[in-house]
Amino acid sequence: MRRGLLGDALSYAVLALAALVALFPVFWTVTTAIKARADTFALPPRLLDFTPTSRNFEAIWETRGFGRILLNTVVVTAGATALCVGVATLAAYALARSPRFGGRRPLEVGLVLVRAVPAIVLMVPLFQLTSRLGLYDSHLTLIVMIAAVNLPFATWLMASFVGQVPVALEQAAAVDGASPGRVLWHVVLPLLRPGLAATTILVALLAWNEFLIPVMLAGTGAKTLPVYVSGFVAARNLDWGPMAAASTVAILPIAVLTVLAQRSLVAGLQAGAVKG
Amino acid sequence: MSDAPASRGRGRPGGRLGDRPERPIEREGARLARLLAAPAWAMLLAVFLVPILGALWLSFRNETLGSFSPPRFVGWENYAGSLADPRFWESIRTTLLLLGLGLLVQMPLGVGLALLLHRRLRGTALFRTALIVPMLLTPVAVGLMWRFMLDTDLGIVNWALGELGAPEPNWLGSRWGAVWAVTVVDTWQSAPFVMLVTLAALAGLPPGPQEAAAVDGARPWQVFAFVTFPALLPALLVLLLIRVIDGLKMFDLLFILTQRGGPGTATQTLGMLIYNTGFGFFQTSRAAALGVLMVLLVLPAWLLWRRAERAS
Repeated sequence: MRRGLLGDALSYAVLALAALVALFPVFWTVTTAIKARADTFALPPRLLDFTPTSRNFEAIWETRGFGRILLNTVVVTAGATALCVGVATLAAYALARSPRFGGRRPLEVGLVLVRAVPAIVLMVPLFQLTSRLGLYDSHLTLIVMIAAVNLPFATWLMASFVGQVPVALEQAAAVDGASPGRVLWHVVLPLLRPGLAATTILVALLAWNEFLIPVMLAGTGAKTLPVYVSGFVAARNLDWGPMAAASTVAILPIAVLTVLAQRSLVAGLQAGAVKG
Repeated sequence: MSDAPASRGRGRPGGRLGDRPERPIEREGARLARLLAAPAWAMLLAVFLVPILGALWLSFRNETLGSFSPPRFVGWENYAGSLADPRFWESIRTTLLLLGLGLLVQMPLGVGLALLLHRRLRGTALFRTALIVPMLLTPVAVGLMWRFMLDTDLGIVNWALGELGAPEPNWLGSRWGAVWAVTVVDTWQSAPFVMLVTLAALAGLPPGPQEAAAVDGARPWQVFAFVTFPALLPALLVLLLIRVIDGLKMFDLLFILTQRGGPGTATQTLGMLIYNTGFGFFQTSRAAALGVLMVLLVLPAWLLWRRAERAS
């Protein structure tokens, strides 16, 4: 029994330490965002004994075009998420329910390739292509690209959720004379709602965080939040306050989401990580 | 064109899907399935096949941004030039070094944390929530946070190390400091992923064999080493290959944390070299050739991944 208690105490200690390491950088960033300059650089560090200020947030809010950057990020995230989840749901239904159809194998291979090939490889030709076609720096380009790179993950995730819907229901509806389209719309989709929610949340998160695509294929017009945040890297040792504020704006929605939709997030990440 | 490759699969005797029961969608099904898959098809063609073909085309030309001489075909010149360039081989070594170090730290750490969480002690669900936070955060913001914390003079990490009397490394200003900084931050973000997937795999194991071993008097470490771990192995192999694929993709973190592969070329992976070649020096065709070479590098990992998935 004594061994068991010792083991438990050790487990708690290790997990608590790991949780501390996981959360401390977030705590440090958020507190830095509301510190005055003098407190930011104080050593020993001021963990909690400082007077909060909103100056850093005011500073980034006054950056030219910050409102537009936020709006761009929301538009691109919403658009890419809707497109990606929509396309993925249809493909997932086909893959999960129809063992053979024309183009099934190449579609599967294509999805795996998109998941495996580093996106930077695609950016060199895409930069040229979008520039020549006048599609550089447009919301549409970002939406389609971000939806596409997340398509494999979303499709496998949705396929695993479709797999959980009992086939008998669809068979019953089909026997009653419903066309496959109606079966999909009236029987399957309503049952998929929790899966759709999990997929939507995860894809939205990935789209919100996406950096490579907007930094390559957008200039100032369609600039998104991660690209704006990355701009602070050039400011050496000076702008830590506004930098932390910008980072906080980027991670705040995610923190809220994690708390509100933890169950969906975990289920989705576990099901979609490994191809179903 | 979509029918030709599929008919090969159809003709294969004893295909792995051949013996499933008839499903409702199947009758009118194949046509509907093709229709439903069409948008996904279109997307893959537009944003994957076209750029890959574009990269191949570019890689045999000598296009550079801002050059006034008309571009022309140069054959294998870009490939020969890349393979003869010591920076290319250095970037491959760096890629493999960062990948290897990262995996060595992340896999045991993630699996270990999963095993602890899997004991389901009271209140540990809260720890799980805390532990998945890093993997969800914007990588760019993560890079900046850690740049701030790892600052040699003003960062909180070196302050803490100093208080403890430990050496204070020059994290982002020296070669090995930067390599370890990337490993630490990548681990901070990726170990939770390993943990979460391992946790799912653990939950999927039948409890019988483990309980039987414990009843027969096996110690906990023996149960793990001889029962749990072997049962977990196929899932861990798939997880390892996913981590390899994602490790090779690492971009945002390097872009920010070590400012595009610095100091010097200390953390310039192949992906970063492509970026610096194409968008730093504007050698578009050379970058495209490097990209094609990178796909060849990823291919073995990809093939192994597919095999492991089939097996597990």
